[in-house]
Amino acid sequence: MSKIVVLGAGISGHVAASHLRRKLSKAHEVVVVSPNSNYQWIPSNIWVGIGRIKSEKILFPLASLYKKKHIDFKQAKAVSFHPEGDAQEQKPYVLAEYVAGETKGQQEKVTYDYLINATGPKLNFEATEGLNPGTNKAYSVCTYTHADHAWEGLNALIQEMKKGKKAKILIGTGHAKATCQGAAFEYILNVEQELRRHNVRDLAEITWISNEYQLGDFGMDGMLLSYGSMTMKSSEMVEMVFEDRDIKWILGAGVNKIEDGIAHYENLEGETKTETFDFAMLIPSFSGHGFKAFDKNNQDITDKLFKGFMIVDADYTPKPYEEWTVQDWPETYQNPTYKNIFAPGIAFAPPHTISKPRKSKNGTEIFPSPPRTGMPSGITAKLVADNIIDSIKNNKESLKHKGSMGNMGAACIASAGFGLTQGSGISITTFPIIPDYVKYPKTHGRKLGKTFGEIGLAGHWLKLALHYAFIYKAKMKPFWWLIPE
Amino acid sequence: MTQRISKYQRFKMMNPILQFFKFIYLSLKVLIIVAGGHGGTRKAH
Ligand SMILES: Cc1cc2nc3c(=O)[nH]c(=O)nc-3n(C[C@H](O)[C@H](O)[C@H](O)COP(=O)(O)OP(=O)(O)OC[C@H]3O[C@@H](n4cnc5c(N)ncnc54)[C@H](O)[C@@H]3O)c2cc1C
Repeated sequence: MSKIVVLGAGISGHVAASHLRRKLSKAHEVVVVSPNSNYQWIPSNIWVGIGRIKSEKILFPLASLYKKKHIDFKQAKAVSFHPEGDAQEQKPYVLAEYVAGETKGQQEKVTYDYLINATGPKLNFEATEGLNPGTNKAYSVCTYTHADHAWEGLNALIQEMKKGKKAKILIGTGHAKATCQGAAFEYILNVEQELRRHNVRDLAEITWISNEYQLGDFGMDGMLLSYGSMTMKSSEMVEMVFEDRDIKWILGAGVNKIEDGIAHYENLEGETKTETFDFAMLIPSFSGHGFKAFDKNNQDITDKLFKGFMIVDADYTPKPYEEWTVQDWPETYQNPTYKNIFAPGIAFAPPHTISKPRKSKNGTEIFPSPPRTGMPSGITAKLVADNIIDSIKNNKESLKHKGSMGNMGAACIASAGFGLTQGSGISITTFPIIPDYVKYPKTHGRKLGKTFGEIGLAGHWLKLALHYAFIYKAKMKPFWWLIPE
Repeated sequence: MTQRISKYQRFKMMNPILQFFKFIYLSLKVLIIVAGGHGGTRKAH
């Protein structure tokens, strides 16, 4: 009888745990270790951050659901990894520390037969001096609490603008190597629309600041899209939208310091500049959680498990951009040293970025880190769960299920404004996520048709439909598994 | 303000009837891309 421990109850951890529970008999144990008592549907934080949805609508408590579904839940955070056990404990284990309730502060060795590390990113605000959500007029929408604060800040500014105040709004990336440009892109368009709704748009100067070399890079090296009957670059599409919405942009910017209403940045020219603001939403850099790992003799083996994020079956050989291939990207998310450990979603260490690396004239690296959005996070979690299920059922290792981001499509429905009749969405799909320049040499590494963009009200409806569908699925309501990842 | 989205395009983007059909089209298209599956890359080359 096997025990599978899942670290993290975000998109990938929760997907893995729910599929494991559904497909494995109760004789097998599924344990989730996660510090947050709630599940949150992160993509809808954008609407929390503009005050159009209450954060309670995008989250629900995990303990009662897991109890009902016979998933053991420990509200704790993983501290260190012990994949060989130790002198006292024969089995591999993770040291976890409880973060709430009577057991708060207590540590437990959580043993496992299989371990899924789905701890996502650490929101590394410390990497940018002065960037601390809710201070210096700078906010984040990366969690529901951050998004609540962002709305408080924005709402206060809107009230001042209603009295005639002119305001500068800055939205984008808060670090030279930040990722998740898509979320910032959604937020800037939603803020712009809300200012119009409150009749204060003409008092605001809205600026996009990003470490992207071109608009529409999104950490994906940009895209060539089918747009209606045309073929368009994502840079052209985003430029069209920004010009239409009167949004200015600053590109190739590595934000390195925030002071009260001032963002300091270096650009690719090597110039150091500042941009002032009355309200900013800047995505921090994402990093690994800094976990340590030890062998059975208590020797540090962190470099066997982690390279910032967790090491999996990727090809990490350093090579220049021109030599990158889709084959560098992992297929099974299995750690090569400890084959009962897997890391789907954002928790795995990517072999390199997707966007072309660039340095400023001073040698500062300024380019987006690779995003791993909700869809690939869910898909990779499910395939990891399926491989573990097969391995348990067949009593031998099975890695039949594969899913490289170089052979996987993703849909990103970016909200461009909230409202059943006034809303808008920019629907973008890409196939594959990682450009395959060998297969699709003439279309920037992606298949046209399957890589397309659409703008309009339908995009908003689709985003809203996905919000309801994914929360239904996450609550494991009847036939939840029919909804794809 | 430079307007690169024409009035006619905007009408189409915001017209609920046209957009209802677009919604069905987009839902199916996204579903096809997701259901289109995924796999490895290493053996294919
Ligand atoms: C504002 C915003 C909007 C977004 N919008 C979209 C979108 O529209 N579409 C889309 O596809 N993607 C979107 N994304 C990306 C999407 O949210 C991520 O791809 C997804 O959340 C990644 O899932 P994950 O499970 O790997 O990580 P996470 O969702 O971050 O989950 C990590 C989990 O690990 C837990 N954890 C952390 N530390 C520990 C520890 N020490 N021990 C145990 N557990 C731990 C956390 O509490 C959490 O439960 C958006 C992201 C943001 C920030």
